[in-house]
Amino acid sequence: MNLNVEPAAADKQTQLLQEKLESAIGRLERASLFAKLNFQTQVLELAGRMILLPGGVQQLYALAPRLDDAGLFYGTDWAEPGALLPRLVNNTLEQGSDPLVMLECMSELRLLAIANGEYSHEGVSVEQARHFLTQVLALNLNHLFGTANEALRTRLGKLGDGIQALFQYLLDHIGFDNILGSLIDEIWRILAQRPIQVGGVKTMVTQIALTLAQGVGDIGEARLGSDRLISSLFGPTQGCIDDPGLDAYYARLEAMDFPTLQQEAYGFSRAMHDVGLVSDYHAGYLRWLLQNDQSQLIPDALGLSSTGLDVLRTYQNLIHKLIEEVIYAQTAQTVYGLAMLLERGILYAPPIAPGLWRQLNLPLSEQTESALMAAYGDAVTPRVRLLSGVISLLGQPLGVGQGNNPTCQSARAISMWSYNDPDFLMHLIAQAARFDNIQMNFEGQPINSAELAAGLASNIPLDTDPVSIVLVPHLDRVYNAMGQACVGRGEDPHRWINPEFHGWWVGREFYIAVDVASGKLKNDYVSYLEQFYRSYHPLYNGNQPVIHPQPAGIAVTDSNAQFVGWHAIALLRVGLDQNDVMRVYFYNPNNDSGQNWGDDVVVSTHGFGERFGEASLPFPELASRLYIFHDDPIQVQTDIIELPKEELDHVQDMALKSWAAERQPAEV
Amino acid sequence: MTKKNPDKGYVAILGWSLNAINAIENFDRRYIIVAPQWAEDYARENGIPFITWDFERLNESSMEIAEKLKEEGVDVAIPLFEETVEWAGAINAVLLKNPRLMNQSMLFRDKALMKRRAQLGGIRVGIFEEANDKTDVIRFLRRVNQALLKLDGDPDDPIHLKAFDKAGCLGHRVVRTPDDVDNIPEEEFPALMESHLDGWEFAVEAFIKDRKIHFLNISEYVTLGYSVFVPATPDLEKWRPQVVAEIEKLIETFDIDFGFIHPEYFVTSDGKMYFGEVAYRPPGFNAFELIERAYGFNAYQAMVMMFDPKTTDEEIKAFFPREVVDAKGHAGCFGVYPRRRVINELRIPEETENDPYFEFHELQSPMQNKVPKRSAFGTHWGLVYFFGDDPYRMRDLLKAQEDLDYYI
Repeated sequence: MNLNVEPAAADKQTQLLQEKLESAIGRLERASLFAKLNFQTQVLELAGRMILLPGGVQQLYALAPRLDDAGLFYGTDWAEPGALLPRLVNNTLEQGSDPLVMLECMSELRLLAIANGEYSHEGVSVEQARHFLTQVLALNLNHLFGTANEALRTRLGKLGDGIQALFQYLLDHIGFDNILGSLIDEIWRILAQRPIQVGGVKTMVTQIALTLAQGVGDIGEARLGSDRLISSLFGPTQGCIDDPGLDAYYARLEAMDFPTLQQEAYGFSRAMHDVGLVSDYHAGYLRWLLQNDQSQLIPDALGLSSTGLDVLRTYQNLIHKLIEEVIYAQTAQTVYGLAMLLERGILYAPPIAPGLWRQLNLPLSEQTESALMAAYGDAVTPRVRLLSGVISLLGQPLGVGQGNNPTCQSARAISMWSYNDPDFLMHLIAQAARFDNIQMNFEGQPINSAELAAGLASNIPLDTDPVSIVLVPHLDRVYNAMGQACVGRGEDPHRWINPEFHGWWVGREFYIAVDVASGKLKNDYVSYLEQFYRSYHPLYNGNQPVIHPQPAGIAVTDSNAQFVGWHAIALLRVGLDQNDVMRVYFYNPNNDSGQNWGDDVVVSTHGFGERFGEASLPFPELASRLYIFHDDPIQVQTDIIELPKEELDHVQDMALKSWAAERQPAEV
Repeated sequence: MTKKNPDKGYVAILGWSLNAINAIENFDRRYIIVAPQWAEDYARENGIPFITWDFERLNESSMEIAEKLKEEGVDVAIPLFEETVEWAGAINAVLLKNPRLMNQSMLFRDKALMKRRAQLGGIRVGIFEEANDKTDVIRFLRRVNQALLKLDGDPDDPIHLKAFDKAGCLGHRVVRTPDDVDNIPEEEFPALMESHLDGWEFAVEAFIKDRKIHFLNISEYVTLGYSVFVPATPDLEKWRPQVVAEIEKLIETFDIDFGFIHPEYFVTSDGKMYFGEVAYRPPGFNAFELIERAYGFNAYQAMVMMFDPKTTDEEIKAFFPREVVDAKGHAGCFGVYPRRRVINELRIPEETENDPYFEFHELQSPMQNKVPKRSAFGTHWGLVYFFGDDPYRMRDLLKAQEDLDYYI
């Protein structure tokens, strides 16, 4: 059971470390349960050195079952391997302290031992362990391929090499063809939400392309999905199907007759709208059209409907100028944002076109320039980068995500403004980008972001879209200042902040499920739920649709239905899906809305009538996780309609079984 | 966890230490932890036998805890921390019907009383005095140096200032010049002043039962307040017979029937041993953990055996290994203190990390960038552990750590 390596292979350093590890594991094994915590760190520290040695991962793998039995995970969040979520692994690796990072690594090795049938742990089957690791690999390709960003490398130091060795080891055991299938599914699932930021997806697709090109075995049906992904990036049309390189492609365009050029345009737009990814060739093609007096093909290349076409014709100069200024291979994805911007028809609102002209020529402050350069480098100028971000955001209001930053409120605000108040958003962007300041008012008092200390996002976020990079630090500070102003009021501050922060269209009436003083569920939780039904459910509110997106708060639960934290979302619409189930469609600023909240509450992102970027849940399921919502103060008289008592009881049960389990009111 | 032996004693542990509780949980004695309220929830959740007691509240109700433990059927109380030593004395005076134990514990708690008692018992101590204020310190510094025939302008020999009733290095200052005296806060008075002995300082851990020493470890200090290792180098171990004799003197002078003591000594260059102080509780700097690493027995369990009136001689013989020869190696630790004033992160020095003797560390990443000025000994940020075969290499390695940056 002990360290069993051939003595010949183990050099002296490894052997010494083994002895020390052995002695630390011995102490951990002998420790009583209540004292395990005192002895875990020593083991993790030694393991952190072991993983860096040649063959170190193999050593740790052999030890993993024994370490689990010894209590390495006791009392930690990793105690129950069956409850772990693949999605969280990355977060620990990127944010955790060294001992936590090592604990995560050991947890993976424990699961590998289970997957290989060499160890068993209650609550995890061989298949589950294998599935978990497949997911982890698919979600952490950056560690696998050593493409982790600079910030991460600096933070992890040497341990980064250890993590890469671990992932290589996992891959050797799980097999690439195994992860490929789920990886491809994963990419399609993400793309179905049409995110603005597709850098990660593009990296994954590229890796898949490389792997398949190297002739990794038969991947069966997954091949179909991967082919479409790869071709959409590297060869969406007949003219570039062999990925000839941009220069060669331009040469081919010169030789094409009009119908062939038109075929190219159809090919590009079809790939883009099918997949949600834009090929570099597509960007090159658009530039070429403008430069070669073929702009009549732009509508086909963008795949415009009659609405988009009409907008393009109305604002032709502006759109051509935008293409000329912004569309490069480095900003190819903006083509999709541009197409969607035209399709939305928002250019017909008077301030939008002049707003875009302002943005086109906007001089940026030094701070803005350096923030954009830090995040994106200098492949294009910061002005172009920001402009591309503005176009994408206006075209894809639901495609914005908070990245790895605790700023869901700001991301949600940006999304809602883009959806609903785009000229105001453009005003804020211009102010922040040029003057490093935004001004808002709270209860009559002006708040200037430039005068405030940093809020939640103490560092400038680096992993979001260009607009967020410029705007979020300001929004975050303003939001915090509004929170400060509410200190001592004894009630949830969102009551006052939400309408002032977002806009007049946020309902002034505020409902909360929790008693702020005690943190417990309110005694009249049922009437809270009844109000939500009367406010939002078309069958009980006089068939009133949601007019403006409304900020709301949810109690996020994990796949075990355990409370995780409070989170900001926006309610967009309520309607019947194809199965006649009443669903709430909402926006979640989290980068991936498809989440399992436990107890069979699984948030859907496609397949149930969702528009791109929307998440949805059946009405009662969403109600069971909702803890804050707004409504207009004067409501339609709907008291006469009887509420579905049984359904409301069920909703209450779901809440009490999940996030409110430890918030039971004194008397229910 | 370990099955309890009903023929053995039932002990009360005064103070909360997870390592100690863990050791005793895995030993065959029944036990109960007596500790402040803040530990109660944790104890209940983990099924640790527990009585809440506030050790800071020393008053008439002190009898209450003794009576409570007596009712519970406890045989003896064992102190874990300096602050619980007199509580153990008071409680054991009742449990063992021996009022002398109370007085004995007072001697352990007051360093000035302790020194006088030692002196009365014929034990050699340095020059010492009580100081009530700063002028006492300056006077003492001057007088000591006059006695050493220093001329004006010669660098003065330092003196040491220690709190009367604090453990180990807490409140221990070295005073070299009158300027140093200015930096002493008023609240540290009264305090004990001692002349500096230019010699070799070391500590002893002695396990005593029926007035006999059953195991004696010598801990070698490399630099006071920074580093220690066990067992000591042969250079120091060659003093063992004298050390044993000195401990026997302590047993007589302080009338120690049983328990565990942790005295400190100096050996001067002319081969004389001076008594520094003695504590009736486990030493700081994790010496128990070092002993366990070197010898393989658990020193907390050993201590429980020493206190338990129902321990037999055979049991003791079977428990302890032979001193020095049975050690599997030398275990040492180094207390890290940032050398820079402003730091960003924890980084184990490469030469340390690659050293075959380096075991592991318990250091944490810094929470703040600015390092507070170190005012006295013993405020290290965490320990780094070493283990290896050669005591001289261990000593040099620990010494070398003082010149390395762990926080940069």
